[in-house]
Amino acid sequence: MAKKTLRTLLGASLLAAASLVQADDTRVVAITQIVEHPALDAAHQGVKDELAERGYREGENLRLMHESAQGNSAIATQIARKFVGESPDVIVAIATPSAQTVAAAARKIPVVFSAVTDPIAAKLVKSWEEPGANITGVSDMLPIEKHIDLLQRVMPDAKRIGTVYNPGEANAVALIELLDERLAARGLELVKGAATKTSEVLGAARSLVGKVDAIYLTTDNTVISAAEAVVSVGERSKIPVFAADTATVERGAVAALGFNYYNHGRQTGAMVARILEGADPATMPVETMEELDLFVNPAAGERMGITLSEDLIKDAKEVIKSDK
Amino acid sequence: MLSEIAFYGALETGLIYGLVAFGIYISFRVLDFPDLTVDGSFPLGAAVAAVLIIAGWNPWLATGMAVLAGMAAGAVTAILNVKLNILNLLASILTMIALYSVNLRVMGRPNLALLTEDTVLTPWYDLEFLEYHQVSVVLFAIVALVSLILLWRFMKSETGLAMRATGANARMARAQGIATGGMIIFGVALSNGLVGLAGALFAQSQGAADVTMGVGVIVIGLASLIGGEAVITPSSVMRALVACVIGAIIYRLAIAFALNADVLGLQAQDLNLITAVLVTLAIVLPGVRTNLTNRFSRKKA
Amino acid sequence: MISATDLRLTFGKGTPLENPALRGMSLTVNQGEFVTVIGSNGAGKSTFLNALSGEVMVDSGKIVVDNLDVTRLPTHKRASRVARVFQDPLAGTCEGLSIEENLALAIKRGQRRGLTSAVKKQYFEQFRNSLSSLKLGLEDRLGDKMGLLSGGQRQAVSLLMASLTPSAILLLDEHTAALDPKTAAFVLELTTKIIEEQKLTALMVTHSMKQALEVGTRTVMLHQGQVVFDIGGQEREGLEVKDLLELFEKQRGLSVDDDSLLLG
Repeated sequence: MAKKTLRTLLGASLLAAASLVQADDTRVVAITQIVEHPALDAAHQGVKDELAERGYREGENLRLMHESAQGNSAIATQIARKFVGESPDVIVAIATPSAQTVAAAARKIPVVFSAVTDPIAAKLVKSWEEPGANITGVSDMLPIEKHIDLLQRVMPDAKRIGTVYNPGEANAVALIELLDERLAARGLELVKGAATKTSEVLGAARSLVGKVDAIYLTTDNTVISAAEAVVSVGERSKIPVFAADTATVERGAVAALGFNYYNHGRQTGAMVARILEGADPATMPVETMEELDLFVNPAAGERMGITLSEDLIKDAKEVIKSDK
Repeated sequence: MLSEIAFYGALETGLIYGLVAFGIYISFRVLDFPDLTVDGSFPLGAAVAAVLIIAGWNPWLATGMAVLAGMAAGAVTAILNVKLNILNLLASILTMIALYSVNLRVMGRPNLALLTEDTVLTPWYDLEFLEYHQVSVVLFAIVALVSLILLWRFMKSETGLAMRATGANARMARAQGIATGGMIIFGVALSNGLVGLAGALFAQSQGAADVTMGVGVIVIGLASLIGGEAVITPSSVMRALVACVIGAIIYRLAIAFALNADVLGLQAQDLNLITAVLVTLAIVLPGVRTNLTNRFSRKKA
Repeated sequence: MISATDLRLTFGKGTPLENPALRGMSLTVNQGEFVTVIGSNGAGKSTFLNALSGEVMVDSGKIVVDNLDVTRLPTHKRASRVARVFQDPLAGTCEGLSIEENLALAIKRGQRRGLTSAVKKQYFEQFRNSLSSLKLGLEDRLGDKMGLLSGGQRQAVSLLMASLTPSAILLLDEHTAALDPKTAAFVLELTTKIIEEQKLTALMVTHSMKQALEVGTRTVMLHQGQVVFDIGGQEREGLEVKDLLELFEKQRGLSVDDDSLLLG
């Protein structure tokens, strides 16, 4: 008996839900992200704020949908299907796994990805200049050359650079490969420490002690979550820690020439707005972050055994004052 | 409001996890072997299929290799248990952990994209009478049906019966001449082969094989199995197998519904709670049903 | 034909719980014999049976069944020659499987199993005939799950299962001990009937001296892991429980204080 009731309930609720309808001249933007995380959340906020500034206000002429997949691929797939089924004007996919599953589901709906480091490897676009289909977006590829420049400006004699990364994160692996290549081109050596989860970051950082002159952290999500651990190792062993994003400088890294994900989100939002106004994703080149800010933390530098030059501090957009 | 695409999406994912549920039926129910290897063999199947497809293999052959890879993983777990006497649950956890590194090695990177490759689905997209989002449902339904029939025939065969006896009463099975150790190894291998198949198909419909794909597969599989048993009492092998698929589909429909029920204020972050509630209901309801039936039949007397 | 030569087995060697269960057990059972085995607790009866069936491996000694040395073979490899009925009625059958499925399992005992259907149509007549001889109506309930049957019914079916295919020896491990007196008598009668009809070679462990003398052709008594006496043929006819006791005391200089042995 209870079995029958269960079946009837299920059927009835599905039917009831099918009766909801939506209004017509509102633009619909659906945002999906793979997991909740400060960087990805900031990007999400950036998209919303940029759209608002360009005249698309939620509740008035814009309907926003948002779902997070809680790190689960199957849910990401169902979210993608759900969004495609709603026929939005644009789908925004934050992070590679979400972008891929949306790409597989959405054939004609414009898709703008955000926080995807290597869209070519992820097979989301044909080329950086001409994506070729319905997908384009903003890549958070790091300006590695500029970062190495900064590092060498502060520590010209550094020969061995260490880094901690999660070999299970696609973005991180792509960055590490690039980093290795670019450092080698300058005659520098890359020493890697692997951490598959945040609890392993401390151990990985410690494994670098005695083998490196400086540590450089990419935007690897796992490592950024545990940045303090790397900073503490840097301070204790007097190894300067450089970062790729500005927020980590506030948490104790010496310097970074970076962007923040909020701005990344705003840049994404700008692309969404252009598509809403009629632009074709196939011809919109994939963008990278142009605007870079120099953040420095001289006190942290002191603790890690180096003194930042007056020049550098003057060039900085922001000088972090930390006492600890 | 479940759009047609979302509905088909739930069916598609449900059919894939139905295959996973078949595997879990074999290990948990038939062999009484709690097997967590699936969290590793699902992405292993995806990884093997992806690597081979990108290397130019025929996608069906690649999928076949994914099945073999899954079987190998299952065999490792079972051998650890049968030959080295490691507790079954523990053995499966060991294999699952090892597979994380193995999968990374196989793929070479944490994420392998299949979006522009020829998959098992590609030729079907050209068919006139099927819309894009229906293709995967039809194909996976066929795969699920074929798997169901093969499994059913197997469980009814002499070897299949011997496997069921192994799980039901190993001592008696041995007294009947059944090599229970070998049966367990074969059964757990078969189970993970099915899960590898599911992983391979999932990657091809998803557009990528990702090393984190396996997280939570055991929970989804169990929820599907138990949920299905609540709706269809598994009094025979056929009913038990059908319950696997039905359970998986219902679970994914419930999730799709939850994602769309903005009116209830439910969001994807509530999904774990929803899963827990569903599984609890599924475990409790059969008991309630029996009580109610007893209550009513007593009244008649 | 089964022969056990000088079997020795100690459990927990080297630990404080060391227990020498078999201390040089030798016994030969010839074709067609029906041997009853008695002994008090700890005499080694169960261990002996487990050694014969392969569930435990002896430390030293030899076991030969029908000219095959099975000493180092595991249970499933001996199953083609050794059939067994357990003491626990629930242990000998699978409650989740149907009656016909249990019988189908037994009919392939010791044989290679393939991918053909397990419950074959050609078995049906044989199953129905076998079951109808029990006069329990089970022949009409082939599709019922074994778990629906009572302990006595399950034990009767276990017996049938053990005799569905030929065996070199049938081991009966106190198989009526867990049943109520009426059912026990029923199963015992069934046992003697089947053994007679099929001319089986059987070894029956029993807890009751009375039972040991009433059935079978030969009685063996175990004590502390060895055979203390072995009576068959003429000598055995007309013996009563008190005679057995005398014999035992004479052999070992001990008296039997196990009540269940005497009163059973």
